[in-house]
Amino acid sequence: MHEMKISLPLQKQVYAVFFAVILSLVRGVTYSDEIGIALEAPMAILAFTFCADTYTQEITSKRSEIWRLCPIKKRMHSIYRRIVIQEIFLLAVAVIGYGLFFLFQNPRTGGTGRSGLGVEMCLFLVYIAAVAVTLGFWGLLSNLIASLFRNMWAGIGGCMVLWLITNSGIGDRYFGPWNLFSYTFRKLENISDFSWICGKIVCICIGILTVAALPGIIKKRG
Amino acid sequence: MGIKIEDLTVTFRNKVTAINHVDLEIPKGIFGLLGENGAGKTTLMRVLTTVLSPTSGTVTLEGILYSEGNFGKIQRKIGYLPQEIDLYPSLSVQECLEYMGDLSGIPRQICKERIRYYLEKTSLSEQSRMKMKQLSGGMKRRVGLVQALLNEPEFLIVDEPTTGLDPEERIRIRNLLVDFSEGRTVLFSTHVVEDLAATCNQLAVMKKGKFLYSGNMKELLEQAKGHVWSCKVKDEGMARELEKKYHVSLKQYAGDELQMKLISEVPPQMECSPCEATLEDAYIYIANKEA
Repeated sequence: MHEMKISLPLQKQVYAVFFAVILSLVRGVTYSDEIGIALEAPMAILAFTFCADTYTQEITSKRSEIWRLCPIKKRMHSIYRRIVIQEIFLLAVAVIGYGLFFLFQNPRTGGTGRSGLGVEMCLFLVYIAAVAVTLGFWGLLSNLIASLFRNMWAGIGGCMVLWLITNSGIGDRYFGPWNLFSYTFRKLENISDFSWICGKIVCICIGILTVAALPGIIKKRG
Repeated sequence: MGIKIEDLTVTFRNKVTAINHVDLEIPKGIFGLLGENGAGKTTLMRVLTTVLSPTSGTVTLEGILYSEGNFGKIQRKIGYLPQEIDLYPSLSVQECLEYMGDLSGIPRQICKERIRYYLEKTSLSEQSRMKMKQLSGGMKRRVGLVQALLNEPEFLIVDEPTTGLDPEERIRIRNLLVDFSEGRTVLFSTHVVEDLAATCNQLAVMKKGKFLYSGNMKELLEQAKGHVWSCKVKDEGMARELEKKYHVSLKQYAGDELQMKLISEVPPQMECSPCEATLEDAYIYIANKEA
């Protein structure tokens, strides 16, 4: 698949894995249920830097003028394929990162009051679901902003501002369970509280809107 | 029918007018576009590829008006090789062209056949498995040209296609463009006057957003006739004096003397003889006539 070679060059793969390794070494966790919190927000940074050049690489390499001559449907298929490939890769990095926390920090289990393989498995699956939404949202958003301004750094910068707002006490107070990082700000002691899903629904809704808006932007801005 | 440009103007946001109320008809065959840097050639090509919308004026391709609604139809008819392009460095030549073909919507089998054909025509068959980043500048240029030819466009726009090519390859590419132009329109922009002389009958000369000349090559040469002079000077000092007064299109040592070719409206005030004008001489004559 040509898109895989285009959107996942070696240097990008290396820096993404390196990011997860460093994070799992420097970010301290005591209990295993803190791993998700430790990973979600940094993985969002990785997602928006990683995906910002999904389309803008066509502009910087001066291929966009040729792209413009191709049918919009074909162009969009290619961009979406690139996004999916990158997101799958990032999800794999997120899984590796989770494992690395166990490897390097050997966190205690039972932080939620309950322990056992079943609980750990449940925590892991919830983390995967939450981080998948997070990665998808930030990847799509950064690509959209970058395509709109025809500049990768605009995508990264725009997302960084939103990240700083939502990944803060102010964001938590202001948006509550509707915050984009609701999973990070959830109450760990209450394992049955799933109100943070609201924030992920917001991510999914905005993500759908970005997918819908992208063809118009690519067509207009090329 | 070809391309018809009427009263075309392109003014950028910074108020710079790159193309200033120009009219042009580009018939079928190879049409040369000649002009100094910043003359507006690339802007014109960007308008013709629908990348840029003109400030005013109209363009039609085979009778189809350049308008938002027709862009899809027009874009399918165009092949474009920009002046600078960096094709996917991590893909091989074959993969890169297959990808570009797929993007253009060419059926896979047909695309593969065309790739094979054009790679052979551009002497790149042996490099088909090489990564794009491993290619020399000239090879990359040829791959760029192949991608422009892949969808067999009715209107091919090539900006400096022979840059970085060795003389043999340059001739091969020129011949390929001549073959390709049969029944099609090829707009060939270059600084290499020699390339135009070898391929085109029709050409336009651009300067500061205007056409100084558009039409037949023969007529352009005719215009320069009687304005090109050959002379010999003894030393560099005299040559420098002449360079201050006239446009010099040739300067070379011939034994102890310096052979020079001068472009001048009136006979130079020295011993010289009129000589045959080449396209290069004609270009210099036309480009500096106005000034």
